[in-house]
Amino acid sequence: MRDYKKAQEEIVGFALILIVTAVILLIFLVFSAKNNQKEAVESYEIESFVQSMLQYTTDCRDFLEPLDIQKTISECKNKNSCVDGRDSCEVLNSELKNILEGSWIVNSGSSVKGYELKIISGGEEMSSIKKGNETLNSKSAAQFFQDVEVYFTAYY
Amino acid sequence: MIYNNRGQLKIQQMAFMLMAITLFFVLVGLFVLKINLSELKQSAGTLEEKNALLLVTRLANSPEFSCDNSFGSTKINCIDADKVMMLKQRIQNYDDFWGVENIEIRKLYPSSNKSVECTLDNYPGCEIIKIRGGQITPEYSNFVSLCRKESFEEKAEDKCEVAKIMVSYKGVD
Repeated sequence: MRDYKKAQEEIVGFALILIVTAVILLIFLVFSAKNNQKEAVESYEIESFVQSMLQYTTDCRDFLEPLDIQKTISECKNKNSCVDGRDSCEVLNSELKNILEGSWIVNSGSSVKGYELKIISGGEEMSSIKKGNETLNSKSAAQFFQDVEVYFTAYY
Repeated sequence: MIYNNRGQLKIQQMAFMLMAITLFFVLVGLFVLKINLSELKQSAGTLEEKNALLLVTRLANSPEFSCDNSFGSTKINCIDADKVMMLKQRIQNYDDFWGVENIEIRKLYPSSNKSVECTLDNYPGCEIIKIRGGQITPEYSNFVSLCRKESFEEKAEDKCEVAKIMVSYKGVD
């Protein structure tokens, strides 16, 4: 009877060693499993996009040269027309819409779920383009020049 | 004789127990070693990834790609397409210069959706400038403005378009 009890104690001891080691291994595994996944949209992408968008050359010209988006915003703000008579604000909105559609794919299967571009001049909204859904995850960038503020947000 | 047998049994029991514990700890040790080795491989891969990410954010402003002052004022995130086309011709002199497998610039807007690769014959009527051959994914990419000089009424004008620069790195085997 005494020998039987002693054997039982030994088995319990062995089981305890196994359990303690297993728990230590589990904790080690949890701590070592780091999440290094890249985000769907990175901040630098948004900032670079806004800069590239402002540098894009439109087909709206003044008397000297074709205007980039930044200059077209200024022309629109000053209510000037392109040299061919088109309204600079119309050209601006159409070009912005096309640039956004060409650069950001928004659909149910894509990582980007939506975006919003806002151009504010002197406190007044000059242009606002929105597509897709607003989600809880977003990245934004802003650019300021003269008294114009350009805000872009991508939702993912 | 009975005591002798019981003693032998006890020693045998102890020997089996010691063998079992040793075997168990050897297995645990092997498991930990395997995890450590795979972590080492993973961290090497992560370093390569970080390098690709860092490179993609600063490549457009490097002297080999940047517009400098060729397009009026100094532009950031601006790639001189004419310069890149010349770089493409001499890419064999830049082996392992950037430490990545491939660099590609893809025009986003305006784009004809035909994905025509740029050569000296079809430039600038093309969409993709492959600095080196091979496949590439948009995982490590950044927006840039791709600028070039265009002739209009016998004078040179600046033309900037929206593009993406992509890099791919060699994975760790």
